[in-house]
Formats: sequence, C-alpha cells, structure tokens
Amino acid sequence: MRLRNLFLLDMRFQAKYGFYFLYVALTVIYVVILLALPQSWREKAAAILIFSDPASMGLFFMGAIVLLEKSQHTPCAFAVSPVRAGEYMLAKIASLSAISLVVAALLALTAGIAHLHMVLFGTMLSSVLFTLLGMMVATKIVSLNQFILWTVPIEILAFIPAILHLWGISPAVLKNYPANLCMDMISGASVSFLGLFCTVILIGVLFMAVRKCVIKMWQEAGGIKL
Amino acid sequence: MIQVNNLSFSYTKQPFISGMSFSVSHGEIFGFLGPSGAGKSTLQKILIGMITAYQGSAMVNGVECKKRTKDFYEDIGVDFEFSTMYEKLTAKENLQFFSSLYEKKSRSIEELLEMVGLDRDGDKRVSDYSKGMKSRLNFIKALLHDPLLLCLDEPTSGLDPTNSRMMKDMILAEKAKGKTILLTTHNMQDAAELCDRVAFIVGGKICALDSPHSLIMSKGAAAVTYTWLENGEHSANCPIDRISSDERLKGLISENRLQSIHSGEPTLNDIFMDITGRTLV
Ligand SMILES: Nc1ncnc2c1ncn2[C@@H]1O[C@H](COP(=O)(O)OP(=O)(O)O)[C@@H](O)[C@H]1O
Ligand SMILES: [Mg+2]
Repeated sequence: MRLRNLFLLDMRFQAKYGFYFLYVALTVIYVVILLALPQSWREKAAAILIFSDPASMGLFFMGAIVLLEKSQHTPCAFAVSPVRAGEYMLAKIASLSAISLVVAALLALTAGIAHLHMVLFGTMLSSVLFTLLGMMVATKIVSLNQFILWTVPIEILAFIPAILHLWGISPAVLKNYPANLCMDMISGASVSFLGLFCTVILIGVLFMAVRKCVIKMWQEAGGIKL
Repeated sequence: MIQVNNLSFSYTKQPFISGMSFSVSHGEIFGFLGPSGAGKSTLQKILIGMITAYQGSAMVNGVECKKRTKDFYEDIGVDFEFSTMYEKLTAKENLQFFSSLYEKKSRSIEELLEMVGLDRDGDKRVSDYSKGMKSRLNFIKALLHDPLLLCLDEPTSGLDPTNSRMMKDMILAEKAKGKTILLTTHNMQDAAELCDRVAFIVGGKICALDSPHSLIMSKGAAAVTYTWLENGEHSANCPIDRISSDERLKGLISENRLQSIHSGEPTLNDIFMDITGRTLV
C-alpha cells in the first residue's frame, strides 16, 4: 500500500517535471531515425539507442530526481516518516523502469529485433543497475556539477565495453560483465546463466549499498541549493 | 513520554551538547528556549531519532532514540524549521501523499487546511506559497496522522500576529487532546504563554528548567517603581512584598507627592538574561 503510494507519487513527480513529455518526444525522434536507416542497420542501431537511452536513463534522471528532492528538503520528511529506505528505492526504480520498458519496446518493435522478451528483460536489468548507480551518486553530493562529474567514470565503465562488445570487439573475460550482458540481451542475443547470476548478485549488492546511502542521506537531511 | 539522561553529542571533536538530563510527561508542552545556535534543533533531532551518534540515553515513547525502528514515526509528528514539501505539487496533493505513508487513518485534510486559513489555497502549488503559508502548511502536515508527540521547531517564526495567534491556539488545542508537545523557540512570549515548562539552552547546556511562572518568580517578586519631585525628579524601586517597610514611599503617599507609580514583573527574557548572561535573539 505504502509502496504503491510512493510509486504513484514518483510518477506524478516525473510527470510534473516533464519526464513523460520528454520521452514521448525522444521516442518519436528515435523511431524516425530508425525508420530512416537501411533495414540491415536497424537492429544494431536500435540496440545502441536502447542501451544508451531508455536502459540507462536512470543514471542521470535518478540523480536529478534525488537532487530535486534534496533541494526541497523532502528527505527530512521521509526521515521522520514510517517509509523504509527499501520502499523508497523500489518505488523510484519501478517508476523509471516503467518508462524505460515502454520506450525500449517501441524501439525494438520498430527495428524488428527478434526475441522482444529478451530485449525487455535486458532493458529491465540495465535500468535497475543504472538507477541504483544514479541514486548512489545523488545521495552523496549536493550539486548538479558534482553529479555530472561523478557519473562520468560510471558512463565510461559501462558504455565503452558494451558498445565495443556489440561489434564483437571484446575480450573473452568480459563476456559476463554486466554491461556487456545487458547489451547482449538488448540486441536480442541469448546469454549465459552464469552472466545472469553475476548481474543479479551485483544488483543485490548495489541495492544493499544504496539502501545504506539513502538512510545516511535521510539522517543528514541537510538542505542544499541547486 | 520523554526521559533524557546524561545526554551528550557533538558534530565535531569539541563537546557541544553535554550532560543533559530532563524528562517530559504525557500531555505536557515542553519548550526549548535559547538563542540561535544554542543546540535546540540538534536536541530535537536527537529526540526524533535523526541523530543517533549520541552518548547517554534518550527515551521517547518507551524507545531508546538511537534504536528506533521506522514504526517509531507512526506516533510522532515533526514540523521542521523549513518546508519539506514537493514544490511542484499542490498543498492537497502533498498532504494526501504524506498522510498515505502512515498506517493510521489521516485527519481530514480539508478541515486542517481550513483551520490554518488555507482552504482556498489547497489547490495551489506549494512553490506559489509565501513563507508564512508554507509554515502553516508544514505545521498541519505534522498533525495529519494525529501523533502522540508533536515536535515543533520554531513554529511561529515568520508568522504575522494573527496567524501566530491561530497557530498557538491550535497547539493548545492539541495539548487539550492529551498530546505531548516539544516546542523550540527563541520567542520568550510564546514560550511563557504555551509551555508548561521551559528549558533554557545556551551553548548545548540546560541552564535552567522550570515552569515559566516559577522561573519568573525565582527572580523575586514584582517590583514597584515610583517617582516624585524634590529638586528635580527622583525615582526609586521597592519589591512589592516589602512596600510597607519603605518609609519614603509611605511618606510620599501620605503627603500625596507621588508623581507616578508602576508595578512591573520581570519577563522571561529578563530571567533568561539573568541566568545565562545572554539575550535571546
Ligand atoms: N549538520 C550539522 N553539522 C555540523 N554542525 C551543525 C550541523 N547542524 C547544526 N550545526 C551546528 O550546531 C550548532 C547548533 O545548531 P542548532 O541545533 O541548529 O541551533 P538552534 O536550533 O538552537 O539555533 C550551530 O553552531 C550549528 O552551526
Ligand atoms: Mg533551530
């Protein structure tokens, strides 16, 4: 019940800040680009588009959301409410993943990627990972500049291996690297059980770590100015 | 409701809050009175479980604050010094959301808005509210889930006299319902009017703790100040309980030579200066 209310609030918050409008516009642009490309390029282009936007939007947008909340002191309100850190996180992850999944599905259908369920599962895993990373950074910092600075290493570590991997330029040891694994799934390829297992473990560990960060942020609950 | 025993805490290496002990019983309005930077908000943050790295003991509603679980907050309402609302949502949307986080059924949002004179502004975005409107809105947010303990940090600061009066009446109404209220303020009139007991806090320490009435009385009773003419104007003081032994005053009265005579009680502010050697603001 509380989880549902948190989830609805997050959707409302994102609507008020124009997230849905932005993603309708972006999706239209992406679809037009895909349709303009030759048929043979579409699958790879769609995979890159999905990985670099809907699947990883959580990194940047979760940061923006948490920073906005900090600037309005709402972490103080959560700190003295019965809301658990885990509930707060789940609601935020679910609300952003919902956007990711819808956009990814539209792009995959446009490009005609086979195995839609694989694409969606891969998008889901990446979205959760990136949202957690964005949340972790956002709980630690107080300004947008700091945020952009701290997400750069994450972007480098996630995007470069994954995009190289898509073109087959990838050492064998990185086969089960979570970013590469997500890229495989998003391009409709099947993945190993071991890789999936590693990714799920990584998500679990990150979740627990971010939970600690959220609790700390609530306790500090200092105000910041954007 | 609250038992604090030998409580110490500091943000830094230097000691700040040190060796505090006091208790607050059910249904009491207890005030922390002190200049800004004295540690009032810090003390409140300890009591609402936001600062857990303290030494000593602080029990609230039977729970040691540093060991509180999240259920602790079902019975506590907090009004911070600043607004904690979503700025882009309307007042009603905010109140509905925050009340939906509690197990308990919420009080009527319409009624609460009306009580603080915001019934016409319920559908406005919080970002369009003035500072005083935001304080009133945040105050009713603390009341939403009808908590047993209310923690109010400077609730009347920045309010005009009418709204300040209204908020004080609402605080007294909560007390009448049996709620315990912790109030932080540097406004001694509010403290004297609302609080059953006040603690003077300066530099992280409690310098005095008693009912406003006893504190005022502790300075000695009220005094009489009178003036008369005798080669120019003179004035003198005399404690009100020793008037009969002031021969000069008696003589002036019998000769009808008094120019003026006033009695004055010390205010809580005077007492505060007396005890702590500091002014409140
Ligand atoms: N989060 C914090 N970190 C470090 N110092 C703090 C923090 N919050 C408050 N202080 C310091 O503690 C002192 C007391 O602050 P506070 O409890 O807010 O005082 P009051 O509410 O009585 O005005 C001040 O000197 C303030 O600068
Ligand atoms: Mg304060």
